Amino acid sequence: MRSKTIHDRANVNVEVSVAAFSTGDRRKRSRGDKRILEFAATIKSTFEPVIQTSLYPRSQIDIFVQVIQQDGGLLQACINGTTLALMNAGIPMVDFVCAISGGVHSTFPLLDLTQLEESDVPNLTIALLPKTRTVSLVTMETRLHVDRFEEIFRLATDAGLVLHEEMKAAILARSRSLITSVESQRKEHELPEEGGMEFN
Amino acid sequence: MASSGSISISKAEKSFIQAGLISNPPSRADGRSLYDFRAISLETGFAPLANGSARLSIGRNPHDGSGGTEVLAASKLEVESVEPGGGGVDGGRIACTVTCSPAAYPHLSSSALDDLQYDITTVLHETLTHRSLHPKNLGILIGKKAWVLHLDIVVLVDSGNVYDAVFMAARAALWDTKVPRTRSVEYKAKKGVVGAGGAISSSIGKKKGAGSGEEGGGGDMDVAEEVVSGFDTRQIRNATDFELPDYWDEGEVLDGRDAWPVCVTLNVVPPTHFLDATLPEEAATSLRLLLMFAFDPSRHDSPNVQGMRTLGTGELEVSQLQELIKQGEKYARYIWTALNTKLKEESLGRLKDRTKF
Repeated sequence: MRSKTIHDRANVNVEVSVAAFSTGDRRKRSRGDKRILEFAATIKSTFEPVIQTSLYPRSQIDIFVQVIQQDGGLLQACINGTTLALMNAGIPMVDFVCAISGGVHSTFPLLDLTQLEESDVPNLTIALLPKTRTVSLVTMETRLHVDRFEEIFRLATDAGLVLHEEMKAAILARSRSLITSVESQRKEHELPEEGGMEFN
Repeated sequence: MASSGSISISKAEKSFIQAGLISNPPSRADGRSLYDFRAISLETGFAPLANGSARLSIGRNPHDGSGGTEVLAASKLEVESVEPGGGGVDGGRIACTVTCSPAAYPHLSSSALDDLQYDITTVLHETLTHRSLHPKNLGILIGKKAWVLHLDIVVLVDSGNVYDAVFMAARAALWDTKVPRTRSVEYKAKKGVVGAGGAISSSIGKKKGAGSGEEGGGGDMDVAEEVVSGFDTRQIRNATDFELPDYWDEGEVLDGRDAWPVCVTLNVVPPTHFLDATLPEEAATSLRLLLMFAFDPSRHDSPNVQGMRTLGTGELEVSQLQELIKQGEKYARYIWTALNTKLKEESLGRLKDRTKF
């Protein structure tokens, strides 16, 4: 969209669509639904500082999120999925974004709540940038005692770091399979070997 | 709506594709012959929260899962009131909705995407809601309650031939659909205490009939035996409500599930036609003919044409059309047979899974 171009960086556009059959009771949500728009805006604001948008002036990065099934932890799944998709697409980012939801049942902190748990336990979702250990998103729509907040927050941060390891492993495995397929093709065409790649 | 979903390609590429198709022997970019389909993969029951579901892809790379047209279909049943203002229809109704993911059509604006969704929805809805296909077990209580079957289809990726994929997925999801068993319930006062007007017993009807509310008749000699005729089918009318009995499976299969049609798209490039077009091929074809066939297993020789639609700007002579319908029937029968085999396999596989416990 021409009207949305920004002269010094890329515009990040997030569209979320939720399948009508994804929940227990069928509910058709159109694209203009307020809740969906808010959801998309949350994802957008989480990723805008992480994507190196200044590398692509006057362009647009579209992120399409399709929800097929939901049983709690919708936002964290969307954010983690988006991180992996952006990396798979080779879009330069400053860091991973690892999101996790947490809640508290009486005094026990919980992680990764299901839909049932979400509906009667105070819960929050955080998105963590693991390298710098900064948090790019904290959202909570329920009431939580302030004394419990720190406990959950610390637990969720630790969980985010674990998640980071898993996501890194997935990305590296994907990159390795890409490299092997490129190399096998190169051998077929007998092209001269060029400098290798290294991961750390 | 000519080819609003497809990509735009240059004139040179268009004529290159067309020349390949009409040359002898014909050649296509992926080496298929004119009447070959790409590999189709199908999985039913992917959505546990739906009453029936299917995920179908045409031409997906089996190694990395990339490419190919991908479609999700799920049916969900809801109880609807038939009474005036309730919106329901006696005997139940079917509502189809097709949603296209913007990821499938990144070049379309959101309003163009809405148009495209609407086009596919109309074709699907008009074909599947025809009276001759209506399942008999969607009614619950005559004049009171009925099921409404929402068939939601999501097009995740479009790499051509989306109509065939949508119809196949719809057929698979409807095949997979289980309608929960219902039992009608009626309430009536016990015979002996009618005057006292207090106790209400619920008797469970539909098959058992209204015989069980009688034991209150005790010592009263005047009470005539209630005669229940075997031909009396009106008793169901007394039912005021229904309940869902707990049973080991999710319900009975949707009635007439053999009848749901399949669609075959004939892409016409005069003097020839071809099947299962990819996106560039679709863009190079000026006329596409959709034919929806249903093959009644009892009448093997004469299939029903459940729908027909032309897409695009090209035109067709009547004699050509007759020939195309004849050819289309042959292709549709292949699709039909292959799909049925796969669906039977799937339901067997799930039965095995269930009996493991």
